[in-house]
Amino acid sequence: MNAQVQAEAVIVGAEIGAGHDGAAELVLTLRYENGATAPVVLDAETGFSLMRNCGAESLADLAGQSWRNLLEGLE
Amino acid sequence: MSLSPQRRFVTPEPDESIEQLAERALPGEPVAAAVDRIKSWNLHIFAMRRPPGLLLGGDVVFVEPPRR
Amino acid sequence: MMFDVLIRNGLVVDGSGEAGFAADVAVKDGRIAQIGRIDGPARQVIDAAGRVVAPGFIDPHTHFDVQLLWDGAARPALSHGVTSIVPGNCSLSLAPLRAADRPAVVGMFQQIEEMPPEAFTTAFDWTWEDFAGYRAAIERNLAINVAPLVGHSVIRQWVMGEAAQARAATPGEIAAMQDLLRECLQAGAVGLSTSFVDVDARGRPVPSRFAQFAELDALAAVLGEFGRMLQIVPEFYDTDLTIARIDQLAELSLRHGVPTTFSPVFDSASTPDNVPRTLARVEEQFARGARVWPQMQTRPIDISFSLLRPSLFFARLPSWIRVLRKPLDERIAALSDAETADRLVADVGPDGGARMMGELIVRGGDAAPTALAGRTLGEIAAERGESPARALITLSLEHGLDVAFLAANRGHDDTGRIGAMLAHPLVHIGASDGGAHLASFATYGDTGYLFSEFVRKAGALSLEQAVRKITADTADIWGFKDRGRLAPGLAADIVVFDPETIARGEERAVFDMPGDGMRYVRDAIGVDTVLVNGAVAYAGGAYTDARAGAVLA
Repeated sequence: MNAQVQAEAVIVGAEIGAGHDGAAELVLTLRYENGATAPVVLDAETGFSLMRNCGAESLADLAGQSWRNLLEGLE
Repeated sequence: MSLSPQRRFVTPEPDESIEQLAERALPGEPVAAAVDRIKSWNLHIFAMRRPPGLLLGGDVVFVEPPRR
Repeated sequence: MMFDVLIRNGLVVDGSGEAGFAADVAVKDGRIAQIGRIDGPARQVIDAAGRVVAPGFIDPHTHFDVQLLWDGAARPALSHGVTSIVPGNCSLSLAPLRAADRPAVVGMFQQIEEMPPEAFTTAFDWTWEDFAGYRAAIERNLAINVAPLVGHSVIRQWVMGEAAQARAATPGEIAAMQDLLRECLQAGAVGLSTSFVDVDARGRPVPSRFAQFAELDALAAVLGEFGRMLQIVPEFYDTDLTIARIDQLAELSLRHGVPTTFSPVFDSASTPDNVPRTLARVEEQFARGARVWPQMQTRPIDISFSLLRPSLFFARLPSWIRVLRKPLDERIAALSDAETADRLVADVGPDGGARMMGELIVRGGDAAPTALAGRTLGEIAAERGESPARALITLSLEHGLDVAFLAANRGHDDTGRIGAMLAHPLVHIGASDGGAHLASFATYGDTGYLFSEFVRKAGALSLEQAVRKITADTADIWGFKDRGRLAPGLAADIVVFDPETIARGEERAVFDMPGDGMRYVRDAIGVDTVLVNGAVAYAGGAYTDARAGAVLA
């Protein structure tokens, strides 16, 4: 387990995956406050929303962003 | 064979709000902070669902972060 | 004795997993009469020299509920050697369903099946409301066997009406659901399906997702009275969620003595520990005595997109994302602008997109010329004297952006890993989704792909293991007592195929749905003859007039 301690979950990786329905999807890796990492899979709508919220031009720009960016603009 | 420990979860009670669920799942924590943590551990409900945050009777709601 | 059918000189692979043996198979009155060296006369003799004679394949996860009302062969499933199908998955069936609730449930079906509306309004007379009525409606024309599940969402809809998508059920409503489920099981349903994932036409969660665990527990108690199956769709995109569902299923299985199954289960490079963790939990639960069968498909997952909508396929290309996010008219204008197009092409790199886009396949069924369907963008680009990235733009613009491209094998595609998973004794091969996702991808031919990819190419399973996995194992898991094996006295569901060539054909678009609706299909390769309940239903590349299919109650 990664020993890095942080206050809350952050995105540490992002790549493109293939969804069950044949659509491309965004597979994020989040590191949580306990140091554990886990994937979070987003559909196109949520994935593009996240990129917009983060001001991300490409996947690499998502690294280091807070999980909170996933919620913005969805309500 | 005994079951290996897995990530703990609860299921919503009928008509339970996220605040009520957070109080039940994380007793002793300030509600706002507890809700915040529950959200971060359950993005399948709070980011991927339409409308976001709609609690369903069949939901699995994690009450801790991933273990690995 | 005069046999009805005599299949001679084949290699009998009987579903047991034991080594195949040279023998003849005789059929009489819909049942297997004899296996061995048989000289008796027969009304029809089939020469199976050089061929395998096996039990008909069983597909445990389909959505042929609607199609069966006008196509009793569930085409093209039967031509692939599939003799029994399980429709009614994912919480959705066409009964029990009140007439007033049809529009709502049709919307849910359309989300999953992508079937044109005409299929529900012009292709059949909707005469039933209860499960027995639906059974009677399909039974009139069956060429394939059908083991229908009843959907939790429609049971909930029947009992609760609009409240089914709003709240928890009361004790009285749960009791009414139990009674209704019992009635369906008595009328021929082989189990209950539920979903934790699916949405309706408006994007709202389907009714089953509003149920408390206590409701599912009460329904599983009724399944226990009949020893019938509970099928679920878990949140398959997340391993922790899938494991939580496995634990819930195990609890129900142990408490009520029922088999359970969940699907789909995928392997991918981005989540490599998903299947290992899932199977580890399944093993733990089986060791406790629970029956929780993970269903895994054989075929890889492809990515499909067009420039009509923004796709994450381009998420590594900022300039493309900026353009594709624009409203349609502005997007077309931007792509038509020479300077913008030049920049997009430049941004894919010095190879002009050869590596990223050259292998994309132009799909049929959209506005693209038929002559281009099935060809790679790299080939087309070379003919046009363009780079693949440029060709993707110009080809799309020439057809109003309505050109679909396919990036093949982008998930669940590591044959070495998948082969070992499919061979796992607790993995239930299935999850084809036959009859669903019609306009997105072909859900047919997974059985042929099992043999071509995992038996012949990879050697991950023997021929006999592969046959057993999709015949006897499936029958045992589901409790289909006289199916899945070749033995005297059992139902004569038989497939004769060439073990050297059996495979799935290339994906192609056809317009054979009601209202000239489009779907993607794959033809069967290497399947010679298919018998259903002793009648030849498919032979020599054509369907017969036989209608010997039955509901497997």
